[in-house]
Amino acid sequence: MAAPMTLRRELCSLARIFRGISRLGPRASAACSGHRKCNIIRSHLPLTSNTFFHTATVLPSTPSSITVTEEPDVLYQKVSIMVKGHDRAVLDSYELFTTMAAKELGITISNVSEPHKDMERFTLLKSVHIFKKHRVQYEMRTHYRCVELAHITGSTAQVYLEYIQRNLPEGVAMEVTKTAMEKMPDHILEPMWKDHPIDDKPSQ
Amino acid sequence: MASHTSKAFLSLGRINVHGLGLQKPLSRFTYATALTISSANTSKGLPDRGGRGSFLRKPKRDAGEPRTEKMPVDQDWTAVYPAATPFRPGSVPLPVRMGYPMKGSIPPEKKGNLELIKIPNFLHLTPAAIKKHCEALKPFCTEWPSALDTDVKCDEHFPIKLQSTDYVFAGPSVRNPSARIVTLRVKVSSLNLDEHARKKMLKLVGKRYCKDTDTLTITTERCPLRQQNMDYVMYLLTVLYHESWKTEAWEAEKTVADMEEYSWEDSPSQRNILGTLVHMKVAGEGEGEEVREQLLGRKEVQEYKDSVTRLKNEGESESHMLQYKEAVKKLLNL
Repeated sequence: MAAPMTLRRELCSLARIFRGISRLGPRASAACSGHRKCNIIRSHLPLTSNTFFHTATVLPSTPSSITVTEEPDVLYQKVSIMVKGHDRAVLDSYELFTTMAAKELGITISNVSEPHKDMERFTLLKSVHIFKKHRVQYEMRTHYRCVELAHITGSTAQVYLEYIQRNLPEGVAMEVTKTAMEKMPDHILEPMWKDHPIDDKPSQ
Repeated sequence: MASHTSKAFLSLGRINVHGLGLQKPLSRFTYATALTISSANTSKGLPDRGGRGSFLRKPKRDAGEPRTEKMPVDQDWTAVYPAATPFRPGSVPLPVRMGYPMKGSIPPEKKGNLELIKIPNFLHLTPAAIKKHCEALKPFCTEWPSALDTDVKCDEHFPIKLQSTDYVFAGPSVRNPSARIVTLRVKVSSLNLDEHARKKMLKLVGKRYCKDTDTLTITTERCPLRQQNMDYVMYLLTVLYHESWKTEAWEAEKTVADMEEYSWEDSPSQRNILGTLVHMKVAGEGEGEEVREQLLGRKEVQEYKDSVTRLKNEGESESHMLQYKEAVKKLLNL
């Protein structure tokens, strides 16, 4: 079949990705060290990140390297995933897939809901010229599904969302709303006027 | 060159004979030479193009039995559909039917069914496949800290909440300008503010503060990138905080109309009630400050003060009006 061909292509692309990452490695980590939102786990995922073709999840015989950095992991109090599509059955199947994947990865699902569908209707003239009384009506139905996850870390969220988004079916769109929790920054703990008294300047 | 082509013809001849097996079963093993091509072509009635015709018009081979017949029941389905692929009727051993049925008939079968190919299928995401994928992904996940299991604890240690949205969709461009919007939510009670600073901050912030939940919400979409908007919103919070601790010279000109809450001291209500009571001669004869002081110290006057303050600050309701009525009745000995 075409299996050996695709495998060979995959391996070549895998090699490219690994080489690419090794080239970028020191530079990327240096660039990201000042970045607040750097994720703790920089991973060489076994999934090929080629956007040109869907490939299988090739599990290599040697375990891929997991780097653990010193950056603190982002904490998300709530991650809300809303999927929109024209077909309700497709969204049903996708919801099954997402909930099962979350359960397998140990992510708490706080709520799964189905907002009401939107119908955009418009009426057009049926004919190219005249015949105003004869029209044709079209409608576009958009179905929604909302999955809310609670108490999820940045690394887990990145892994889960990448897995979910790679398996997003054709014709389905997704909106991910993340609510990240942060500590109070140090410069807001005390007013600066205590140490530095205010000068007599007219305020603007 | 000629020998090479003749060899090619020979091989083709074999294939052709194989393909024509249905029509001429007897001739399958009888002849497999170059002569067969010309005889085969002429028997079919095609014009003899000297051999190029056989290249262009290969007779169709029969498909053979579909793979579904040979599939064992306990096979590894994740190997049959490892990735997202269109529906193949020969690879899916299910008697699926899809489509609008014709009159008096059932939906059409899966062989040659375009409806089944059009719709996205989840055959590559069976529970077994999901389990396999998640097993491979588990090492990259981290655990949520067990000490932060309730929302209250989260708010206590991490009071600032930054919200942003990502969009995944198919379109001419991957970018969505709405992805740059950042919303910051913080409880004002968690900030280190004194009374004056708190009132000043609420005045500066205006509509962005919700009194019921004590939450300050700042939304920024001013900058083109999300990181820039995040930095800007933190800068706004810092500036608000430090400015609200400052006391300017013109803040001394605050009038009664600027006050956030109603206070009964030095209000028309106090003057009126004291005037009324003095006129009624409740405390006995005498005018002046000490009479007013004495009246103020009375329990009924205090009750009246509480009821009026409650009415003005919290709005009108049954219980508040009743309390006011009781206070007035007691005060005026009705």
